[in-house]
Amino acid sequence: MRFHPEDKSMEQNSDCCNEYAKRHPRIIFTGILYRAARWILGIVFIYASFHKILYPAAFAEAVYLYQILPDWLINLTALVLPWLELFLGIFLIIGLWMPGAVVISNLLFIIFMGALSYNMARGLDISCGCFSTAATEGAADIWTVLRDGMFMSVSLYLLIATFRSMPRRSCNLNRG
Amino acid sequence: MKGIDDLLTRDRSNRRQALWQIPAIVLMAGLVGICVNYLRPDAIPVVGDWPVETSMAATTEDNLIISLPEAAKLFSARAAVFIDARDEQNYENGHIRGALSLPWYNVSKRFPGIAGDIPSGTMIIIYCDGEGCHLSHDLAVFLLDKGFENVRDLANGWTVWQNANLPVEKGNAVSS
Repeated sequence: MRFHPEDKSMEQNSDCCNEYAKRHPRIIFTGILYRAARWILGIVFIYASFHKILYPAAFAEAVYLYQILPDWLINLTALVLPWLELFLGIFLIIGLWMPGAVVISNLLFIIFMGALSYNMARGLDISCGCFSTAATEGAADIWTVLRDGMFMSVSLYLLIATFRSMPRRSCNLNRG
Repeated sequence: MKGIDDLLTRDRSNRRQALWQIPAIVLMAGLVGICVNYLRPDAIPVVGDWPVETSMAATTEDNLIISLPEAAKLFSARAAVFIDARDEQNYENGHIRGALSLPWYNVSKRFPGIAGDIPSGTMIIIYCDGEGCHLSHDLAVFLLDKGFENVRDLANGWTVWQNANLPVEKGNAVSS
């Protein structure tokens, strides 16, 4: 049997499991780690959406400079993506619709890292547009990709933790 | 066995939830993004017009764009001065051979120093990087205002120049 970090029934409703958790700090640690990962990623997404929502025209230009999307999709992406990031951030923090939110989060990081790497590989010197739409953010480089990779590892952990529950011993086994 | 059954049920249920949550979150973001854009005073069109030539032509009376073959011909005939409008760091990392550096962000300070290096009447070809990069266009308009007549903008210059395997160099050395 396994323990799911969001399993409230185990935390609240089962005396047996509460007792078990008290004696096994690893379970408590896993729960805290899961929550911390949700908060970190949630704050990152909300922070990233802020500038883009305020300045849609500047963000559309940043999307255009990536030269990946067809022209008709550029403004639509610039209008929808920031709100998607904001919703994801909120959902991750409050823990709502986690299966859907973590899948989208991972897909977004794959797209972001793919787009950055592709443009670096073809020598295009463009601003990342990740957290700010201002050109002062500087050109995207290997550190930008590594930073995205770091966030993606958090996102990947959430995906695994959400879909594959953490292993634990059965309370019944522990009772004796 | 009951524990394993619970776990499998939960995993299946998570997957089922993700299937409807993903489109639901994207749809919510799309609706909110488009509605907010509709209501705001600085709204952008949902489908924008982004081709580089139209945006350039719309901002200037004369079309300043020069084609790559034309620029390459002038380069080999040494009949043009190339000016790099990107910042110093990008210039040092690589530029068109013999190009002068005149970063747009620092143009008022750097222009007097470089003005003497441009023989009067010579064709000036300005470039930056990225199809949507406006630095070269802005610099071209600036030089026209300063009285230079033969000014052209090589759109997406650094990328197209490299792709065509035309001569480049690194560092600060400027050879004419």
